[in-house]
Amino acid sequence: MKEVIQVSSLMKSYANKKILDEISFSAYQGEILALLGTNGAGKTTTLECIEGLRKYENGEIKLSGQLGVQLQSSSLPDEIHAKEALSLFSKWNHTKFDKSVFDALGISEFGNKQYKQLSTGQKRRLHLAIALIGDPDIVILDEPTAGLDVEGRVALHRLIKKLRYDGKTFLIASHDMAEVEELCDRVVILKDGKIEYQGTVDELTQNTQESYHIELKTNNKMTFASLKFSTWIGESKGYQSYDIADLNQGLAELINIHNANNVEIIDLNVEKVSLENRFMEIAKEGIA
Amino acid sequence: MNAFIYQLGLQWRWDIRNRGILLTYYLIPLGFFLFMGGIFTSINPEAYQTIIPSMTVFGVTMGAVLGMPTQLVTVFGTDIKKSYLVGKIPLWTAVAVNILSCFFHLMIMSLIILLIAPILFDAAIPAQIGVYLLNTAIFIIATLSIGSILGVFVKNSSKLSIVAQVIFLPSVMLSGMMFSTDLLPEFLEKAGLVLPATWGFKNLCANGINLDNTFPLLLMIAISFIIVALKLQRTKTD
Repeated sequence: MKEVIQVSSLMKSYANKKILDEISFSAYQGEILALLGTNGAGKTTTLECIEGLRKYENGEIKLSGQLGVQLQSSSLPDEIHAKEALSLFSKWNHTKFDKSVFDALGISEFGNKQYKQLSTGQKRRLHLAIALIGDPDIVILDEPTAGLDVEGRVALHRLIKKLRYDGKTFLIASHDMAEVEELCDRVVILKDGKIEYQGTVDELTQNTQESYHIELKTNNKMTFASLKFSTWIGESKGYQSYDIADLNQGLAELINIHNANNVEIIDLNVEKVSLENRFMEIAKEGIA
Repeated sequence: MNAFIYQLGLQWRWDIRNRGILLTYYLIPLGFFLFMGGIFTSINPEAYQTIIPSMTVFGVTMGAVLGMPTQLVTVFGTDIKKSYLVGKIPLWTAVAVNILSCFFHLMIMSLIILLIAPILFDAAIPAQIGVYLLNTAIFIIATLSIGSILGVFVKNSSKLSIVAQVIFLPSVMLSGMMFSTDLLPEFLEKAGLVLPATWGFKNLCANGINLDNTFPLLLMIAISFIIVALKLQRTKTD
């Protein structure tokens, strides 16, 4: 596959504090890559370096193709009409706007409204439309569905998937793990300016021994720490917490040991370790 | 060029849609003119000779120093700047269209004063209308060039409202538009010479072209152009 974004050993500091510490990653044609990290991890700085908005001390960024960028809300004058904004950016890019994208994003509903009168979701749709002016090969999206209603979110996901199959590459910064799980092929997780993880979403959730989280409430406070298929995590609000890799073996073991010790299970919750849980683990503690 | 002209047309419309801008470009200057024009001409019988230049200088200074820079701060002090950069809109166009749009608005405001003052207040009409309009245009550009420095350097509108007053109030008090500069202490009279309003007022009161008064305005335009160009060059990346 063709590499369309190549970031190599990127370094950036502010006032002697390293914001990006030799980060390297690539995105391939037709791929949707998520850039994740807690606030201050370096996501925005990385994106702004790629967009050409920030200088960097060391490293290299190579882009193969034209770049389109969707900025967050509040980045247009209050008095501009949505249609005027599209015309202005189209004229400076010497291109005409693709009507199918215009329709898919439902711009005509609010084309004659001033920017300050648009809802957050409408602003996001407008910014995505602006990012797609000139039919770019690479599109950078910053929180693409923040503030969108369910309908808008579904329509936007559908459009992004369609454009990906047309060969466009997306680099997405998002806090919405459900969106990342649904849309993205691979993720890059930043922690304190370093890459803590990069790989597919499936690898991220599967390459972990504890895939399920169990919470048990019993009629006494007896705990079973030495088990073969379950790892005791601790007690909180009367519930004993365990992490297990194999749901059947782990659950059977827990139920059996409680029965064998005449401990009655009053309540039991099973939660699959999702991308969000895994992301939080990595963002807090680093990769296991 | 096509894109620039389209952007200029948009800026003109945005200015009209913005109540704050309409207030500083038209409503306050013309309201002040109607109010103070009556007072000046009744308390000072000689005021009919200077009412057009003084009210023009007041209105232009208000629009160019208190009004236009707010539009620039909304571009350069916010993410709109990023939007322009990633959208391949050159940053200088934001300055240029704001200056040009404001120039047209302030010329219209100045023409309204020129047309109405003789009717309402029996004001003296400039002897050479063409030269007067040329002097007005030079003064507007000089004041806008100072305003553009504020617009690209000041980071937010609350700071701008304070910094702009540092230029606006001395312009009103020290330029001679409210009372003769002969009445000022010498150091204040000299301090007033750094303001475009002082030279603009002298030029508008003079019959004909006076290079001694025009040269400082042209110098201010040239220096401001260099300062703004250097700032824009640095603004492209951090």
